Amino acid sequence: MKKYDVVIAGAGNAGLSAAIQMALAGKKTLLIEQHNLPGGCASSFRRGRFEIEPSLHELCDLGPADNPGDVRTIFDAYGVKVDWIKVPDCFRVISTYSDGTPMDVTMPSGVQPFIDQMEVYVPGSRAKMTELFDLFEEVLDGISYITASAGHADSNVLKAKYPNMLRTGAYPTQKVFDALKLPKKCQDILAVYWSYLGVDMEHLAFIHYAAMVHKYVSRSAYIPKHTSHEISTAMTERFRELGGEIWFNCRAEQFLFDGDRLCGVKTSMGDVACDYALANINPDILYGKMIPKELIPEREKKLSAARDGRFGARMFTAYFCLDCPAEALGIKDYSIFLPKSSDSAKEYRDIMGGMATNDYSIFLCYNIANPDISPEGTCICSFTTFGSPVDWNGLSDKDYVKFKNDVARKFLKSLKDKAGIDLAGHIEEVAVATPWTFARYLGTPEGAVYGHETADWDGMMARMMMLSTDYPVKGLRPIGAAGPRGDGYSAAYICGQLVAKLALKDLAEGGKQ
Amino acid sequence: MALNVKVGLIGVFDMLKFKGMSKVREKAIQAAPAKDIRAEFAINNNAKRLHPDYQELVVSRIEAHPGAHAKTFVFRRADGKPAAWFRAGQYISLKLKIGDSFVTRPYSICSSPKDTLDGTVSVTVQSNPKGFVADYLLENLKAGDRVLASDGQGQFYYEDLRDAKHVVALAGGSGITPFLSMARAIRDGIEDFELTILYGCRTEEAILFRDELNAIAAACGKVKVAYVLSDEEKEGYAHGFLTAELIQKYLTPDCSVFICGPEAMYRFLCGEIEKLGLPRRLVRREMMGVTKKVWEQPGYPQDAKGKTFRVTVRRCGEERVIDASADEPILVAIERAGIAAPSRCRSGECGWCRSKLVSGEIFAPEENEGRRYSDIVHGYIHPCSTFALSDLTIEVPGEYLG
Repeated sequence: MKKYDVVIAGAGNAGLSAAIQMALAGKKTLLIEQHNLPGGCASSFRRGRFEIEPSLHELCDLGPADNPGDVRTIFDAYGVKVDWIKVPDCFRVISTYSDGTPMDVTMPSGVQPFIDQMEVYVPGSRAKMTELFDLFEEVLDGISYITASAGHADSNVLKAKYPNMLRTGAYPTQKVFDALKLPKKCQDILAVYWSYLGVDMEHLAFIHYAAMVHKYVSRSAYIPKHTSHEISTAMTERFRELGGEIWFNCRAEQFLFDGDRLCGVKTSMGDVACDYALANINPDILYGKMIPKELIPEREKKLSAARDGRFGARMFTAYFCLDCPAEALGIKDYSIFLPKSSDSAKEYRDIMGGMATNDYSIFLCYNIANPDISPEGTCICSFTTFGSPVDWNGLSDKDYVKFKNDVARKFLKSLKDKAGIDLAGHIEEVAVATPWTFARYLGTPEGAVYGHETADWDGMMARMMMLSTDYPVKGLRPIGAAGPRGDGYSAAYICGQLVAKLALKDLAEGGKQ
Repeated sequence: MALNVKVGLIGVFDMLKFKGMSKVREKAIQAAPAKDIRAEFAINNNAKRLHPDYQELVVSRIEAHPGAHAKTFVFRRADGKPAAWFRAGQYISLKLKIGDSFVTRPYSICSSPKDTLDGTVSVTVQSNPKGFVADYLLENLKAGDRVLASDGQGQFYYEDLRDAKHVVALAGGSGITPFLSMARAIRDGIEDFELTILYGCRTEEAILFRDELNAIAAACGKVKVAYVLSDEEKEGYAHGFLTAELIQKYLTPDCSVFICGPEAMYRFLCGEIEKLGLPRRLVRREMMGVTKKVWEQPGYPQDAKGKTFRVTVRRCGEERVIDASADEPILVAIERAGIAAPSRCRSGECGWCRSKLVSGEIFAPEENEGRRYSDIVHGYIHPCSTFALSDLTIEVPGEYLG
């Protein structure tokens, strides 16, 4: 049997990150991936003369070279090189303010330009917006401190340096906005970003929201020049350079134990022995069917039951490759959010009610940020909305294509009605990805890309605080979008590194977790 | 810091709330029942049913088409479940063990998607004396034999978000099969578009499925069929080739053109279609495999022709050294050596065989270039459409074979 120090099951964003961290530390590492591509969501696919980005809208935690965010810092430490492009504006949103008046605003990136533009849309908001961004900054710094301390933050340091974070972080974002007396119209505009975390403003911890929005606004968003497959391939190649081995089309089936300690992995290509394994697998699937039943602690059963199958966003994305340039269709914005209202709690309920009530979509035109993403004279656009199990659980194979195409048509019409952009007559290639598609390629529960909802008691910070308590099986730790840092590309890269470091510490201490 | 934000009345309580987050979380966890963790989900099962790793198929019935030197193999799933649903026009990739070789072949499905509900999926195989697989199947595959197959694959299907409501299908020889599947799907109410099939064959005798195509056209107003014979003049049939001039007669102001046929005809048709000046979005081409004469491709270094190279093939921790002719795709050498590496389209398009080129020089014909940008940059190849120009080391993926 082949023997490795560490096996990493799943080459998603967290798996790739953890693999490089392990290889950098000199561990003999095997990375296995059930698909024939690395990256999970961070991938691409070809249709005709086009290469299409499947999932990434914008990476919020990269930042410019002179003001690097966590992800750039990690990539630099790893020696991973990617050709990054800055996304011009934060977003445009076409919706309705909570007072019923129509909203069509475009927010620039950069804290000062953002506040200035908000003043144009909501006169008199400058002081409150400045206060909000000061608070964001403190929160972001505080989280970086807590992440760096890996679950051992000094409460005196927290109190001295991050008091406002401590006072606001545990509350839902809506409560903090209200406490700040932020003008309602500002709240309506700011609410847009909720969907990037998949939890509405009444249930999303402020600390999580603040960190994300501040990163987007202050450091700008970035995308890779050649789709997110570029990131995943660059990471794969760096891992190889460091001596790592990677097996594609190879699925982890069971984790093997010697007593209560992990000793190997049963894969579709044979068994491998190892001292430690990191599973880029949703913990419910990992604990629910990939380890011996007698090793599952009562508490983890309770944890799963407490989460009660509430997974974050299940995606629905329709991709359109068009035979004309973006300008010819009047497309000027990289991303247009098209929620029916600015009431995120209502939007979320309507989304979960299924496509009959869902009127939420994000329209993206990749060429606005990245003119070379498609051949000259063409452009690539996508719609993204959320899927609800209501629609996708009981659908038959026979009705599947009609249903998904009807959803795509609904959002094409919505774009035409709300933004005056009509793609008809220019569609050269099309692909429609549903929760089934994501389930197929990612293997996540219900195709969820965000893991368990980071809502209420199970928010990002609470998970981080309990990093050493959750999932205590010896020699095996879960990583990924369902992990402690919550969802999204950045969180997964950070989580992969963080948990790999904890595993290295375990290994140094004789392999005991 | 001047900033002093409180959410509650007393900021200290807010702080305690922050510190207490883990306690609140633990309380929520402990309050839940310790029941078995749910790890099965309907959406995942749906995805698995539609896209299984593979299906084990049993030959249920064989229909001979003597005039066309072809047979239709009607398969059922060995496990008794319905065959995987597909979109009319797609192919399945058969995974076969022939002698010591492990080979795959893509065959367009000729049956209606509706037939999967009764458990069957069918392909038609036409004789190809120069090939390795077709004649083997025609001579050896018997009722009751088992083969592994993929689910429905490829992008050659009617897509109502993209295609015009009227499709003019240009078929040559056994290239009729995806269009037969589409015609059957229209008849069965699975698909809804107008289909005009222009079917080019050498002789009347070589026409596949003529009676059924005529029956569908007679019964269903949405399907029309016209035959064009190149090697004989017969009443009721047009004579000649599927030229631009002929195709033009069947085009309507808003229509898409789909093309499927053997290599020579396919190349001819692509040239004819060019003359019609249709926008790209209205022309769909089925893949046609990789050229048998790679040395005729632009950019091919002529001194490589006829040479044999040593290829080190790594697969999931194993390593083999095999011979590879410069004149054949690397995949063929891998298969001949009996290494079970994955592949599907064998045309460079689907990327299922995507492999890492660790070292060595290769040639990838431009007309089969279906790689992702970063794969080209980082030395990934599609062995089905890549040729060795030196000794190589490559890493191929694992394969799901049950």
